[in-house]
Amino acid sequence: MDVLSNLGLGFAVALDPLNLLYGFLGVLLGTAIGVLPGLGPVATISILLPVTFTLQPQSAIIMLAGIYYGAAYGGSTTAILVNLPGESSSVVTTLDGYQMARQGKAGLALATAALSSFMAGTIATFIIAFAAPTVAEFALDFGPADYCSLMVFGLVAAVILAHGSVIKAIGMILTGILLGTMGIDVNSSLPRFTFGVPQFGDGIDFAVIAMGIFGIGETITNLARGAEAREYVKNYRGLWPSPHDLKAIVRPALRGTGLGAALGILPGGGPVLASFSAYALEKKIAAEPDRFGRGAIEGVAAPEAANNAASQTAFIPLLTLGLPASPVMALMIGALMMHGLYAGPQLIAQKPELFWGLVASMWIGNLMLVVLNLPLVGMWAKLLTVPYRLLYPSILLICCIGVYSIRNDALDVIVASVFGLVGYVMTRLQCEPAPLLLGFILGPLIEENLRRALLISHGSPSVFFTRPISLTFLILTAIVVAILVLPVIRSGRARVFAEETN
Amino acid sequence: MNRRQAVGLLLGTTAAAAITAPSAAVAAEDPAKYPSQPIRVIVPFAPGGASDFAMRLLQPAMSQALGQQIVIENRAGAAGNVGMDVAARGAPDGYTVFFGNVGTVSINPTLYPDMTVKPDKAFVAVSVASETPSVYIANPKFPPNTVKELIDYAKARPGKVNFASPGSGSVDRLEMELFRKAAGLDMNHVPYKGGAGPAVADILGGHVELMSVTLPSAMPHIKSGRVKVMAITSRERNPSLADVPTVVELGYPDIVATSWQGFLVPAGTPRPIVDKLFQAIVKATADPKVKERMLEGGVTAVASDSPEQFKTFIDKETARWAVVIKESGAVAD
Repeated sequence: MDVLSNLGLGFAVALDPLNLLYGFLGVLLGTAIGVLPGLGPVATISILLPVTFTLQPQSAIIMLAGIYYGAAYGGSTTAILVNLPGESSSVVTTLDGYQMARQGKAGLALATAALSSFMAGTIATFIIAFAAPTVAEFALDFGPADYCSLMVFGLVAAVILAHGSVIKAIGMILTGILLGTMGIDVNSSLPRFTFGVPQFGDGIDFAVIAMGIFGIGETITNLARGAEAREYVKNYRGLWPSPHDLKAIVRPALRGTGLGAALGILPGGGPVLASFSAYALEKKIAAEPDRFGRGAIEGVAAPEAANNAASQTAFIPLLTLGLPASPVMALMIGALMMHGLYAGPQLIAQKPELFWGLVASMWIGNLMLVVLNLPLVGMWAKLLTVPYRLLYPSILLICCIGVYSIRNDALDVIVASVFGLVGYVMTRLQCEPAPLLLGFILGPLIEENLRRALLISHGSPSVFFTRPISLTFLILTAIVVAILVLPVIRSGRARVFAEETN
Repeated sequence: MNRRQAVGLLLGTTAAAAITAPSAAVAAEDPAKYPSQPIRVIVPFAPGGASDFAMRLLQPAMSQALGQQIVIENRAGAAGNVGMDVAARGAPDGYTVFFGNVGTVSINPTLYPDMTVKPDKAFVAVSVASETPSVYIANPKFPPNTVKELIDYAKARPGKVNFASPGSGSVDRLEMELFRKAAGLDMNHVPYKGGAGPAVADILGGHVELMSVTLPSAMPHIKSGRVKVMAITSRERNPSLADVPTVVELGYPDIVATSWQGFLVPAGTPRPIVDKLFQAIVKATADPKVKERMLEGGVTAVASDSPEQFKTFIDKETARWAVVIKESGAVAD
């Protein structure tokens, strides 16, 4: 009853015309920056943060939150249409979303993404409303050793993502990890692989690599094809999912929501890890895993649900404990501070209208996203019929602007161009980029937590086996490795991904 | 006339300066008319951080004191070195002001010996603006409750007590190293990254035992009772933590330390302009509204006695942290 009356208060705040307007502005802006690659939610919120200082605290947070989950949502649009992930959490969506678009089902893929995200958003809102404090306690139990094992599990599961050669996928993951080690080392403050370039001190930005490999690389690859192969989408079929499609979406979206909601509360690559693991899970339990990577609708529904659920549950540690799970959440703490509010357990009691207003606005925001985006689906899908000679130069230009805008540095554009060539070579060699990007994101987190766990245990590796959470993930990792390796041993051939799952 | 020519020459030879401050020549005409146009203050960290927080609270009061708009420009990256570099390249006309802090001005030069800007040469000190004490916090389940108990506990377990920090070269880590050395303890450092948040989270979760952390980052958790406080690094007790002893009371007056922010201007900025800025900072930091808002966040608004005093303070800080950094192995020689 208590939660219901609180939710009532929340909706009263969120439905206030002014707050509705700010919420709408937030999701609109978020969608826009999500669609534009490069400019991510962190940069956008940084830029707009000072503007919100003059607003009421709840209006400010509602708007900033709208930007955040709007971006998580908008990022999938370009991932599906032109194989260009707008945000790190939509990398996985490119795998099947783009294939669907190539088959003329761009509208269906976009609608699937919108509906699964909305479903996940609705469920995540309820989780926050009813279980936030309990869930937050669970996040505190995760120590460095547990994170390390979780990330190792994530990386091994990444092998499942690939639909080609396992050896190549492992090679890509390792390349990604290597790229991720660039920058100033946390423990020693010494530069690694910076080649004396000061700008490499913070490593390479994810968006620079993603845009190079996906955006620029894809453009070169397309250029290498014949003219007829390029303009592939002449006619597209119905935008709205058929009852049959809807049935195919629901279960994967629910599983994705569950995984996403759980991983979102953990600091570090929450939404990214969530989308990757949701995809891997779907592929593992599918009757015909071969369909994945060739336009499977589950391959869009599950990761989209997962990243949206995760980006919402990421608010839980912030709101209940005052602990930021991601750079965006750290910005939210700063935003609250400027209003003289301090995120933490006292906040819910002190400013219930803020907490519950935000929770309610999340659901309203998700609804707005669907209302905003479904009518646009047709327009987006039509975009693909734009002739190649117009569409791809525009993509290149948008990529360059996006990359430059990250920190106003031309070097990033050059680095992205180099990765464009790398991406082209990778395509020719049939190496997939998704495992590389996952390695790039998870590698540094594994290293950081591994070293931290060993520092805390004074060098004893037993900590990974004595902590129940860590041990659980290591056992799961062993199981995944066994699933991957056994068929190879059994059949003596490399047809790993043709194996059946019971 | 001579000064105008000299400044004009300087501007002409420094293309970057000319671009970043196109109308600097106007100011060079007569420092008495300063400020005749908006002043940009470079904050070398992202919005939402401690530096940004302090500067945004000071902004209206300083604008009022100077009778000019103050524009805050956040230039984050490379532990604040990016913003410091941008500010150092600004014209020395008082329209580019750097909002430095202990990290950028006094720690980075030792921590990153290869960095291009040498703050002691590139800037003229104007005044400190805010000081934030740190607190020694620990998980409630950690047996020692006081600093004295901590010393006994750690002495009985050399190298076994873990302390966290937001980074290898962070002031929080160096403060704990100061204490460690003063008390003659052997403790194990566990660095985190991404601000104080992740490190504090692991204190709350009981994965690491204790840390020194700036008061604003610890306050919500102290209030909720999820961490216990052993000491505060300021000279005097803090009104919101009246029962927490200072390091001075505990017998370690030499380890008093604060995380500070302050204003600097590019070297060569005329003295009358430095003085005008100084007066404005004195006024802004004495503004009751500014003082109150900062105190709510655990920060003290304070100005130096004179620009010279700030310069001496910076030099002392730089020398002091250089010793700690080298002794603790935070950077390889």
